[in-house]
Amino acid sequence: MRQLFIKRLLQTIPLLLFVSIVCFAMIKLAPGDPVLSFVTPNMHAEDIERIRHNLGLDRPAYVQYFLWIKEAVTGNLGYSLVNHQPVLDQILDRLPATAGLMGSAIGLAVLLAIPLGLVAGANRGRWIDKLVNLVAYVGISVPLFWLAILLIYYFSIHLHWLPSMGMRTIGVRSAVDVLKHGIMPCIVLAFSFLAIYVRYIRSSTIGQLREDYVQIQYAYGSTKRIVLFRHVMKHVLLPIITLLGMSMGELVAGAIVTETVFSWPGIGSLGMTAVRGMDYPVIMGITLFSSILLILGNLAADLLYGIADPRIKSKR
Amino acid sequence: MLNRNKKRFSGIVVLALLTMLASACSGNNNTNNASPSASGTATASASASGSQPAASGEAKDGGNLIVAVASDPVILNPNYAGDRVSLTIDQALYAPLFQVNNGKKTFYLADSLDLSADKLTYTLKLKSGLKWHDGQPLTADDVVFTIDKILDESQNSFLRGNFIIGGKPVQAVKVDDTTVQLKLPQVAPGFEATLVQVFPIPKHVFENEANIEKSDKNKNPIGSGAFKFKEYKTGEYLTLERFDDYFGGKPHLDSITYRVAKDTNAANLALQNGELNVKYLDPQDVATIQATGNFEILPYSEGRLAYMMYNHNSATGALAKKEVREAIGYALNREELIQVAYASADYADPAHSFLTPDVLYQTNDVPTYDNDVAKAKELLKTAGVSNLKLRFIVQSGNKVQEAVSLYVQQKLKDVGITVELSSMDASAFVAKFTDPKATDFDLVVSGYIMGFDPDAYSMLFTSDGSSNYSHYNNPQVDALFKQGAGEGDPAKREAIYKDAQKIVAEDAAIYPIAYTKTIVAVDKRYGGLDQAVLKPVVIFEDPSKLYLK
Repeated sequence: MRQLFIKRLLQTIPLLLFVSIVCFAMIKLAPGDPVLSFVTPNMHAEDIERIRHNLGLDRPAYVQYFLWIKEAVTGNLGYSLVNHQPVLDQILDRLPATAGLMGSAIGLAVLLAIPLGLVAGANRGRWIDKLVNLVAYVGISVPLFWLAILLIYYFSIHLHWLPSMGMRTIGVRSAVDVLKHGIMPCIVLAFSFLAIYVRYIRSSTIGQLREDYVQIQYAYGSTKRIVLFRHVMKHVLLPIITLLGMSMGELVAGAIVTETVFSWPGIGSLGMTAVRGMDYPVIMGITLFSSILLILGNLAADLLYGIADPRIKSKR
Repeated sequence: MLNRNKKRFSGIVVLALLTMLASACSGNNNTNNASPSASGTATASASASGSQPAASGEAKDGGNLIVAVASDPVILNPNYAGDRVSLTIDQALYAPLFQVNNGKKTFYLADSLDLSADKLTYTLKLKSGLKWHDGQPLTADDVVFTIDKILDESQNSFLRGNFIIGGKPVQAVKVDDTTVQLKLPQVAPGFEATLVQVFPIPKHVFENEANIEKSDKNKNPIGSGAFKFKEYKTGEYLTLERFDDYFGGKPHLDSITYRVAKDTNAANLALQNGELNVKYLDPQDVATIQATGNFEILPYSEGRLAYMMYNHNSATGALAKKEVREAIGYALNREELIQVAYASADYADPAHSFLTPDVLYQTNDVPTYDNDVAKAKELLKTAGVSNLKLRFIVQSGNKVQEAVSLYVQQKLKDVGITVELSSMDASAFVAKFTDPKATDFDLVVSGYIMGFDPDAYSMLFTSDGSSNYSHYNNPQVDALFKQGAGEGDPAKREAIYKDAQKIVAEDAAIYPIAYTKTIVAVDKRYGGLDQAVLKPVVIFEDPSKLYLK
């Protein structure tokens, strides 16, 4: 177990290097020049070059990459080209907002997806299945910003129940206030996750229902409910671990659209601003940070899988 | 130099568009009539306010104002602030030396500014008893320090160009605690206009900082403006609170909060919901907000020209010919174009001159080629041009550019010119637009804010100008700008710049579309808007005059 863990951890190193190289290369290949955000018309060419030099942007791309990776290894993700603040600080500063939002959205989605998926799978082709499928299709295809605006319009403007934007009322320090602000973005995100999870659980339920053990349970006279929620659910829950592991990246990368619409101060909106300003230390920082969490999430999922399902461990 | 219409482009793009391309910087001045006395009385008089029924009540103290901003401020230090949000906040947090409206100076930190007889030395007198937010006195030392740091190459202030005249730096010298002399290397009438951008920074705070731009002190800014820093929640909001020792008198409002609202549509809903009190509006959103009856809708000139640029250098070669440029002008109808681009003539005035109406010596009475299809065809024939194909680059998602390009495509078809539109994302667009060697496009819609002195425009229209992206080249115009820059006599300067406007218009160097307006919605519960003076980019010139009715 321990050996496996260490081996897998070592395997992530080339993977992260690869991710960082691809990301860096893509930023460099994209049109645009971060120096332009410092340039004003009455600047002379030599002033512009001086700024380029001060920012270290006059060196060849590979040198810039090595300088970056050298620092990144020691945990220094560099400084924003725009506001000169340390990248890691900026990410950590916004991490609680994003992790809280994504965590609760994923949690809500899983809690709803499990019963819905099980019931839909067990009643394949009937009205409840069709309804769940419809919800899933709508969830996948509806543009999130549209759904968000719709919710704001209804719950903020018409009913005055919820604040329309931000994470806090100005000057207010209370958890209830943050929760109130979080309800709508959480629902929007949960809806999009739910759509994916439900379809996953539904198809895995359908698969499980064909298994011999289900037939045996029925033969022993178990009711459908007991078969579904006591026996099938155990098997269906396993892939959820993988799904959650794969969501780890998103957990920190944030949801760009939803965070932007609700002005939620998370990593998603930080990333959006960085992309627009060609602020590549920030882009690289977020990419690396979320890659690490994605990889660790997958690793954790695999290990948990082994614990939850002894069959898998014995195969290794 | 690009379009700043779409506020949905958050922070950095606004920063990029505002500062890097020939805009913003030579002073964010404008045309507003009200000119408050900065040293005036503490209570704003309930003077009759122009068209708005705003200032009907007496000014009361207290209350908070929430201003919507599209992104986080980049840096709260006026030596570096170039993005709209930082500039807006700095306007309340720091005090300028003076501001100019319609050619009329309003003094803030300064008491007077006098030019010597040889026009080489400015004497700046500060008000006495000025204080920083931390209680330290603000003196001539701070002003000299600020200018020295702007000039210091290692400090990367982009105001530096303002203080370099003919390759030599302006010298700031302290005479006594309230007097500073600015010594120019040569006569430069345009210099004074750039001083409106100077908002002194505190010497006692930054003295020992090796790199002011990266200094942690910027996170807890000490200014001298009407409001002092209180708290900043990244990505959420920034609050300033009243500074009781403000030289202009104690501000009425207790605090101003700048709330980050990234999405325009969602922010409009928040405005209707009362979660925001002040917000920029796009013309198409005005009707919805007006319908609530809770907001003053205030369109005001932003000192900006929107125009269609001809790339005289393009590979087709056609746009180097004056006749072709004239023909394009004749093929279009400016009024239709404004309707198409800005929804209503209320939000944009037809433009003929390359100078905006707030600029000294501006005249809109210059030749213009407009709305005559027959003449256009004739000119194209004279020029020997047929089957012309022009490429129009458009920044995708920019509604104004998209509307104008489609209109131009349609109209030029009538005179036998094919226009190919090519839409690109913001950074690719900017890169193409600012590349002096780009020959693979012909037309583009752009805009600029250059301040109130015509000298600032030389970089756009002289053959070696740093932002002459159209590659316009007329030795006569070069000579006029050179003359104007060194001419001390206002009457002669006027003649020079009127000539320049006429020649540039005759040459059809660009196709001026409109002098655009900014539209701001302000919650009707707030008053003092006239005394606070609406101003491009920063919204309010003097927020200390705002009050809750």
